[in-house]
Amino acid sequence: MIAMFDLVMQILKSNQIEIPLIQPVVDSLIEIPVLNALVALILWRPFFAVVVMPGLLVLMIYLLYIIWFERKLTARIQWRVGPLEIARPLRGAIQALADGLRYFFQEAIVHKEAHRPYFIQLPILAFIPVLLPIAFIPAGNVVGIKTPYAIQLIVAFISLIPITIVAIGWASNSRFAFVGSVREALMYVAYEIPFIIAVISMIFLYGSGDPYVVIEKQWIPGAFLNPLAFLVFLIAMLMATSRLPFEIPEADQEIAFGPFVEYSGILFGLVMVLAYEKLYVMALLFTILFLGGWSGPQIALLGDLNAPIWLVIKTLVAISIIAIVRSMYARYRIDQALRMGFSWFLALSVLALVIGAFIGMVI
Amino acid sequence: MDDFTKFIHSGKLAPLKKWGTKWSLWPVHLVTACCGAELAHAFASGYDGERIGALNYGIARQTNFIIVEGAITRKMARVLRITWEQMPDPKFVIVMGACGLNGGIFWNGYNLVKPSEVVPVEFFIPGCPPTPEALLRGIRQLQKKLETGEAESSVDFYDLRLQKGKIPKMLPKSPKRISENPLIIVNRAKEVDWAFGKELCEKLKALKLESVVITAKNRIAVKVSESNLKETAIELKKLGFDHVKSVNVIDVPAENKFIVEYHISSYSNKDLMPVIVNLFTEIPRKEAKVSSLADIFPSADYMEREMHDFFGVEFKGNPWKGKFLLAPDTPEFPLRKDFKLQEEIYVGD
Repeated sequence: MIAMFDLVMQILKSNQIEIPLIQPVVDSLIEIPVLNALVALILWRPFFAVVVMPGLLVLMIYLLYIIWFERKLTARIQWRVGPLEIARPLRGAIQALADGLRYFFQEAIVHKEAHRPYFIQLPILAFIPVLLPIAFIPAGNVVGIKTPYAIQLIVAFISLIPITIVAIGWASNSRFAFVGSVREALMYVAYEIPFIIAVISMIFLYGSGDPYVVIEKQWIPGAFLNPLAFLVFLIAMLMATSRLPFEIPEADQEIAFGPFVEYSGILFGLVMVLAYEKLYVMALLFTILFLGGWSGPQIALLGDLNAPIWLVIKTLVAISIIAIVRSMYARYRIDQALRMGFSWFLALSVLALVIGAFIGMVI
Repeated sequence: MDDFTKFIHSGKLAPLKKWGTKWSLWPVHLVTACCGAELAHAFASGYDGERIGALNYGIARQTNFIIVEGAITRKMARVLRITWEQMPDPKFVIVMGACGLNGGIFWNGYNLVKPSEVVPVEFFIPGCPPTPEALLRGIRQLQKKLETGEAESSVDFYDLRLQKGKIPKMLPKSPKRISENPLIIVNRAKEVDWAFGKELCEKLKALKLESVVITAKNRIAVKVSESNLKETAIELKKLGFDHVKSVNVIDVPAENKFIVEYHISSYSNKDLMPVIVNLFTEIPRKEAKVSSLADIFPSADYMEREMHDFFGVEFKGNPWKGKFLLAPDTPEFPLRKDFKLQEEIYVGD
């Protein structure tokens, strides 16, 4: 037993994240018998990448931030104040927490016509394709699973998410949910092909799907190397996460939140954050491909933590800029969005592929 | 499961639940009357209800709060009840406006329901319509209730003191004379300079009619017996009249009759376009039956159904039976003069 524990500690200690700033504290904690396992686990690189940063902990903070930020920004654009009274000193920053708690404690209704097991399981199952890409997204030395095919894998998992949403609509067995599912499937076809072609163009450009090679080759940000792919990826990101110009599957004025119409309580809380989490994963990929990933000025004291911090900061800035789009534009009709997706959007992505292949040969 | 529910309601996590619910009261859109404009104002840039955590939302399933805006009719009561039942617990209802309180300007109407009889109501906000400040105050009051567990009125009434020696204000006098049996004349003749109308009258007089009278310029009143109504309508159609503008029933209980009017006009014939012919007949009140013109003028169909709802006049030949516009539980024939409204019951000293 003790030998086993020592073996585990040895494995954990062999791959520790190094942060000079907190090194004295870690050194003192590692002497205490039980606490040392915990500290070693948290500072173990794969665990740190998946659970702390840029993984689940940052994801939770990001969810609180982005919901508050979107509401506040929309309010400011409409000359309102937005959430405020809940915490005046913080400008209402914990509003999303109150909404989440309310959903958590509310009654979760499963209506009679629903396919009961799938209706309850699918919101939880949908988290698998949303959260798995985080294991493959590296931030400098902090990485969950290191593989040269990371970008391809991330794209593959992102492509799985709409299937769960369509299944959610099917399990709801309601007319609005059905219409929403069909719209989701149509939009999926419209954005997914240009999106994948844009990613392939960047892989051609860098010559590899390995994030480390991708970052190494970006002597200037990838957005300048292939602006067309940048544009296509940006629009595909808006379409894939149901942001407002393409909020077609969830149009709440027409079809009452589409696939999610029958969900209530904690189940709705789960499905509502799906799009936000998808946005986070896609924005991480966006940052790695186009914004130079984790490269940035290094602070010696932070050590290995520099890379995740830069990655998260760049991602949050990108997402905040996308949030402005949401509060400013009106919604396209489904036929307009589909016509766009199948005509010039697709053509633009093919053009981006040609440019990517050409520049890839040059550099 | 009951233990779990009890734990959630009053266990150690209850303060968290109360806090979350207090700051996240999302009203569902259920606009029935003009108070909706004030609700929009309360959530727009001037007052901004989102400050206190209230966000207007689409559907009942994902919200926890209903603001009943104004009058609830018998048909809308069903919608209100369904919305309330679709909503997950815990849920709250606020009624705004005088109509929701006790009817307001529709007080004692045959088609009005009090929201408090349909769903449990937390707070009433009086006013016609209430100001946005009053609405937001109601929401704040609900938040206070969630926090402390006690409902209290936010209005301070001041005491009225009796003053001696003051002359009471004169009340407005009642109308001088109310006619027991008012005379209703549909075809009062009037002299007008209208050559085409006189020509038309000559044409109409050739038919089997009781009287043809010009009541104003472009207006002709034609009285027929009930048995002749359909034939006259066919003859009018041959003249170029092609649609019914409205169907109207007048209840005259003193003379024990209904007057059924068809206002007939034309879209296809240019000369007849401004002309409206009032084709009317009188039928006894007890056997209120008249032949339908829906097969000759299809536009009469819906209006005949409506008149059947309101007056109980049976249109022979119109296949519709039962209630068309009114809710199924409305008392029968509410527009008849002898219809008795439900009396208000007051409990107190």
